[in-house]
Amino acid sequence: MTVPWVEALPWTVVLPLVGAALTPAVAARRPRVAGYWAWGVLLVTTALASGLVVELALRGPFSYALGGWAAPYGIELRFDHFSAWVLPLAALFVVIVPFSWRYLDHVMPAGRLPAFYALLLLNCGGMIGFCVTGDLFNLFVFTEVVALSSYALVAVGGRGLAAYAALKYLFIGAVSSLLMLFAVAQLFVMTGSLNMADVAARLAELGPGVPVMVAFAALAVSFMVKAAMFPVHVWLPDAHAIAPSPVSAVLSGMVVKIGIVGMLRVYQIYYGAGVLELGPFNQALVWLGAISIVMGAFFAVFQDDIKLMLAYSTISNIGYIVLGLGLASPYAVIGASVHVFNHALIKATLFLAAGAIIHQTGYRTLSDLRGVARSMPQTAAAMAVGAVSIVGLPPTAGFVCKWFIALGAFEANQAPFGFALVFGALFIFIYYIRMVNAFYFQQPVHAAVAEARDVPLSMRGPIVLLATLCLILGVLGGIPLSFVEPAVLDLLPAWGP
Amino acid sequence: MEVVDARVILAPTVSFLCAALVFATGRSVFWRRFWTFLAATIKMGLVLSMLPGTLRGVVYTYQFVEFTPGIGIGFRADAYGMFFSLVSSTLWVLTTIYAIGYMQGDKDRVRFFGFFALCVSTTVGVSFAENLLTFFLFYETLTICTYPLVVHAETPEALRAGRIYLTYTLIGGGFALVGAIMTLNVAGTLTLAHPGILSGDAGFGTLLVIFLCLIIGFGVKAGIMPLHGWLPIAMVAPTPVSALLHAVAVVKVGAFGVTRVIYNVFGVELLQQLGFATPLAWLAAFTILAGSTIALTQDHLKRRLAYSTISQLSYIVLGAALLTPLAATAAIIHVANQAFAKITMFFVVGAITKTTGKKYVSELDGIGARMPWSMAAFTIAALSFVGVPLFAGFITKWYLALGALQADAWWFVLVMIVSSLLNAGYWFPIIHRAYFRTAQEPWPPPPPGRRLETHKTLLIPILICAAYVLLLGVTAEVPGMPFSVAQVAVERAFGLPGVTP
Repeated sequence: MTVPWVEALPWTVVLPLVGAALTPAVAARRPRVAGYWAWGVLLVTTALASGLVVELALRGPFSYALGGWAAPYGIELRFDHFSAWVLPLAALFVVIVPFSWRYLDHVMPAGRLPAFYALLLLNCGGMIGFCVTGDLFNLFVFTEVVALSSYALVAVGGRGLAAYAALKYLFIGAVSSLLMLFAVAQLFVMTGSLNMADVAARLAELGPGVPVMVAFAALAVSFMVKAAMFPVHVWLPDAHAIAPSPVSAVLSGMVVKIGIVGMLRVYQIYYGAGVLELGPFNQALVWLGAISIVMGAFFAVFQDDIKLMLAYSTISNIGYIVLGLGLASPYAVIGASVHVFNHALIKATLFLAAGAIIHQTGYRTLSDLRGVARSMPQTAAAMAVGAVSIVGLPPTAGFVCKWFIALGAFEANQAPFGFALVFGALFIFIYYIRMVNAFYFQQPVHAAVAEARDVPLSMRGPIVLLATLCLILGVLGGIPLSFVEPAVLDLLPAWGP
Repeated sequence: MEVVDARVILAPTVSFLCAALVFATGRSVFWRRFWTFLAATIKMGLVLSMLPGTLRGVVYTYQFVEFTPGIGIGFRADAYGMFFSLVSSTLWVLTTIYAIGYMQGDKDRVRFFGFFALCVSTTVGVSFAENLLTFFLFYETLTICTYPLVVHAETPEALRAGRIYLTYTLIGGGFALVGAIMTLNVAGTLTLAHPGILSGDAGFGTLLVIFLCLIIGFGVKAGIMPLHGWLPIAMVAPTPVSALLHAVAVVKVGAFGVTRVIYNVFGVELLQQLGFATPLAWLAAFTILAGSTIALTQDHLKRRLAYSTISQLSYIVLGAALLTPLAATAAIIHVANQAFAKITMFFVVGAITKTTGKKYVSELDGIGARMPWSMAAFTIAALSFVGVPLFAGFITKWYLALGALQADAWWFVLVMIVSSLLNAGYWFPIIHRAYFRTAQEPWPPPPPGRRLETHKTLLIPILICAAYVLLLGVTAEVPGMPFSVAQVAVERAFGLPGVTP
């Protein structure tokens, strides 16, 4: 008997959303239960998602018509190779939540815990929905679910600058959402449809025109803001640095990727339709990506606060991905798509480890944290692995993407960007080597750092697991590839200059 | 004949496991030593057990995982790879004994021995790499794993040395990566199993960029001037580290990379057409002379050794760049000759510093009376470097000179002769001071109850290494000695039946 995994598709979206709604009720008497509840919900979601991915690997992309109304009239959920991203996404939440159990004790009063976990589930459900929907309006709705829960998650720590950071994030995010809504409306008016595949087909009939271009531009800018690409990155560093560390890991590793997955969806529509010459746009992406890499690294080098530095390095890494997308050669796009996941993994490792260190010592700048590796060896080792990984040195997960995107740059005859990519990555290592030196090879300046104990198992376990994965995926770099490659090869025939 | 054999992947894995176990249980001195010795012995056994096959012409391969379609992490023990891994695994055993003695009472020994094992693991990974990607993975890992060893002392000076070391090697690594990627883009493969994968179709400009990238990338570790700046500075590391890494593992991996690029990526024929190797040969000749000249002026013992290393490494590069079979034999055999002679010297210098606290050449008057065995070993190594017949270094120079004549480049013979003189110029003063000058102040006697001139864990590796230098020179033609392996390797690269004149 074959399990009808198609039926599980709506549940992967609904489960976290419903779970979120139920969290305050479940945890009404004892707020700590919220953490366990959220973990349980996410475990089931991950199990469902793995079933979907297996189905995808065996049978190829499949769709689910909500309420039995077939596309293009009904709402379609579509699970293609880019949607496979939901599995690592949900799995990362499963790792991050246990870390939060103990971590949050010092960050917020117990009364706020149910709200926190509800927001986290909402965030996860929104992202899963975003990845599997085949409908433009749903895409917008899920973007908003993710965005609103993210604003709240930044503010939930509730101290000093958090509200300000969240507000800045909210304002810029709102502009981006407005642009997206505008584009979706525009496409609807033009084509009379909201189903993405259908919109693509009808755009092809309509042919080129200014409105088509305007809609594309609005979508592109909207997603670039979400992805925090230079020069629309200004909201990111504060928001990611001030949020509680598990939230930073979610925001920096996954929420910004909404912008990338969104860009891939836009490409699917517009390449499918073939109504727009995207060569110049791609070239612009390549330049913006390269500038993002350098600027992100440049700002990171001058930070003393470890979380702020990690936040800036996200801008750099988004730069890699965007550069890869813009190069529009098979290897580059494969590398970019793989890095969507690998970066999430690395950034989660780094933010959780940084969170653990801040949690145990109470300090968050490099100069204060000298010698912390002696008191917290496992966490510091994970942080070092993450640092090597994010710079893209082998044998770690970060190297895989650097290899593919650089290969793609030469494949696309854009050799200077290949050089820029390889050496731009080294630039940021200046910072990380300072970090490793401070942690390992300098004497502690604070008693609290010298006497700190390593974090309890529920926090250490996730960190060590993630760091190990960073190493394993560096060696077994081919595995994520098998999922991304078919999708990219589907997309590419019409792609590129 | 190619045979699939898991031993080629087990050899690097053994030392990797050893590192993991040292990190896990290393707080106990017993377990730390136990794992290190067990792994070092097993690994040497593995490599030695493959040696007879290699001499018969068998090539052992093992594909681990696919990394990208068609290119995986693969291992392949050809004769040259076997040669290199034989040298490094032999020296691991000796250096480990030495390091245990030298590091006694030092701090952070878990970290030290853990990363030490990792470095050796990656060295063997490099020597067995089937393709340029695998090579690069291990090459960069080696860079990272050596960093904690370079900055081991944690002084500001050590940290500065570490920074400079990383700057040089990581930028070099970046060039190597770009070179590898461009090679893949042009050739569609990265395998090191053939005598050359690139062809002239790629265009002169592209090939030049690839050549420059790869040679800069690997040349940084090989200390080719002007890329050598990190090497003397990194001498701040503890002596066993300097010995194994900066005279054997790290620098040899660079030299090994350069030769792989010449013989297996470009191939002799293509390079002869393109003419890229001639400037490289000149650069190597310059490095040989300049390195030696600077070494003359160094009073600090380890720095003198470092500049001598820079000079000696370029013998390998020069031998490879001459593109003749005899010069290639010299290049390959010099990997072993230089390794054993230089490690002997480093061991002796470390023993002197550990025993007497002296670090400068000018302080060594009369040391020959206080440490006769060590200085005897030092003398053997020095004679080998100068190229006195019957010593290992002579074989290198002899074949290098023959290879230069084969290439109609007699002026490199001149370079050899001048270099020999320079070598004599900076080694003999040390020997002269040691034996023929009286001590400025009496040397402190060994502690009561100790009969040997220094601790036995320091002295035994010194004597074994010196004996091996002698063996390398005297018994070069005996089957199973490195020379025969080198010949098999050269036959493979040039497709020749035999090269002994």
